[in-house]
Amino acid sequence: MKTKEFLALLDDMLELDPGTLTGAEQLSDIPEWDSLAVISFIALVDEQFDLILEGEKLAEAKSVRDLINLLGGRVTD
Amino acid sequence: MPVNPMDLTGRHVLVTGASSGIGRASALLLAQLGAHVTVTGRDAGRLAETLERMEGEGHRAAPFDLGAIDEIPAWLKGLASAGKPFAGLAHCAGIQVSKPIRSADEAFMSDMFRVNISSGLALARAIRQRGCAVEGAGLVFVASASAFVGQAGNVVYCAAKGALVSAARALAVELARDRIRVNCVCPALVDTEMADRFRSTMSETQFQDYLKHYPMGIGKPEDVANAIAFLIADTARWMTGTSLLLDGGLLAG
Repeated sequence: MKTKEFLALLDDMLELDPGTLTGAEQLSDIPEWDSLAVISFIALVDEQFDLILEGEKLAEAKSVRDLINLLGGRVTD
Repeated sequence: MPVNPMDLTGRHVLVTGASSGIGRASALLLAQLGAHVTVTGRDAGRLAETLERMEGEGHRAAPFDLGAIDEIPAWLKGLASAGKPFAGLAHCAGIQVSKPIRSADEAFMSDMFRVNISSGLALARAIRQRGCAVEGAGLVFVASASAFVGQAGNVVYCAAKGALVSAARALAVELARDRIRVNCVCPALVDTEMADRFRSTMSETQFQDYLKHYPMGIGKPEDVANAIAFLIADTARWMTGTSLLLDGGLLAG
């Protein structure tokens, strides 16, 4: 999947206007990134990539780019 | 000679979800108690593993996808005809996927309800057919403590398991004329592969915090199997429409 498509899915998941996220954002700067968003994100990644993210690694992610990096090459520029 | 009030010698029992977790533990215990157990699940290989570990004679594997709701009655009737009418049915198949309501679309709801509730209703429909159950047969649904306590991010699962508890109550009344008892066990977190998945989505700190809600710790599959066997055996001859909570004290706190 292309980064752009993935960011669009994240925008939709977080109920942000399309095109809001660029990848550079810090998660702590996104008010919509809360504990329920984390659960939604795990479900999204499971559905899109058949991948169960480890909570430990997800907890270490600080930015949107870190989230993309968790997907190990499944999302490319 | 010692008396075993949970003796199931020679009785035919069906266990769904028997390829792992609570289903597998139940199949092993029911076999130990003397039952002739038919195990089902989607994965023939893993069912064969369960079968290999079961004590005694008269067991068999019948791989089947319980998602095929309308095929369940004919399938179960076939099993009863090939063996003998069922004295018990432990419906252990189920799925848990966390998803907040904001992300729960129709496809997700349908999947969760088909596997967690529709399959149970269809099994009840199936076992009450003529010649499929012996008098006093016990049907046990594995519901969940989630039927009684809300969890953020788990709404659809909670709804489906709550529906199972209500279904057991109504079925108990409707199927009393067929001399079939219907009860639920409602476990909280049990150490199974399904729980591993739940655990893997948390950090270790988050999981340790979660465990603090369990005064007696989380459960083992055998803890749930014991309650299931009790509800199938004559020990629960007078019990129907009931839900047994198995939660290590979670809801007491």
